[in-house]
Amino acid sequence: MTIPVTDPEIVTTVTEIAAIELGVPAANLSPETDLREIEGMDSVKVLRMIAKIEHAYDIELDDEVVFDLTTIAGTTEAVRAALAERA
Amino acid sequence: MNPVVNPVADPAIDPVGYPGADPIALPWAGLTDYQCFGCSPHNPGGLHLVFEAHPDGVCSRFSLGRGFESYPGIVHGGLTGVICDETMGNLIVLRHGRSAFTVSMRQRFVFPLVVDRPYTCVARLDRETEGNRLYQASAEVLDADGAVCAMATATYQPFVLDDALRQLKLGTPEATALSAALSARTFPSPLSTPNGATHDHPSH
Repeated sequence: MTIPVTDPEIVTTVTEIAAIELGVPAANLSPETDLREIEGMDSVKVLRMIAKIEHAYDIELDDEVVFDLTTIAGTTEAVRAALAERA
Repeated sequence: MNPVVNPVADPAIDPVGYPGADPIALPWAGLTDYQCFGCSPHNPGGLHLVFEAHPDGVCSRFSLGRGFESYPGIVHGGLTGVICDETMGNLIVLRHGRSAFTVSMRQRFVFPLVVDRPYTCVARLDRETEGNRLYQASAEVLDADGAVCAMATATYQPFVLDDALRQLKLGTPEATALSAALSARTFPSPLSTPNGATHDHPSH
């Protein structure tokens, strides 16, 4: 499986995974959406989202980073940084 | 032998709200010297895990005694990892009829597991592969209320039994019998639920 790695493509992939794992339509998510404000959101859903993203990109995000993530944009930046560190 | 601290696979436990299914026979059940720490019924110090069909993959119900604790009354996190690994690994075996070694596994702990309480580990395959590519799987440990207490993701490398005989303590007759048992698997994918519906994605 080839995963897109440019920033806009990471945003798209992260948004798609977030929509599935957080149970909201992708159209309702923007890069700046505050994930904590989504109705019915809880930390387990976010951790499931992170686990799927880590698997998709074959990366491990630091726990300090994960606990500070609040937006799609922030998650995208964390993925980009992890990919850069791995390269 | 230490029967006091052995966990018990309790078929009456139904923390995920899914009707309990019959235990699935593992391919190694026919081996006389089968000592897997996770799932052999013959290992007196083992976990004695058994596996059942679940809409997402397979599940294992367990309750761990004080012999498996870290802090007093709390289950050691390493054991949680063993159970997740066992459940994911056996899902690959049951679904694809292939043995696989764990390449990497990551755990996240959400709530501590308490000794002597019932939990269920549910494993699912996140990516199906053909040939010798890697399998990706995930697992969650749920308490009696269905709350997620721990989660794990892992990658597995399938192997051909004949190629691994030098590493395995397995004689040729047993290897032949095991290969036949692996080939004869009947575990479907995706799993059928009791009402005939199928699940392609985690449902809880």
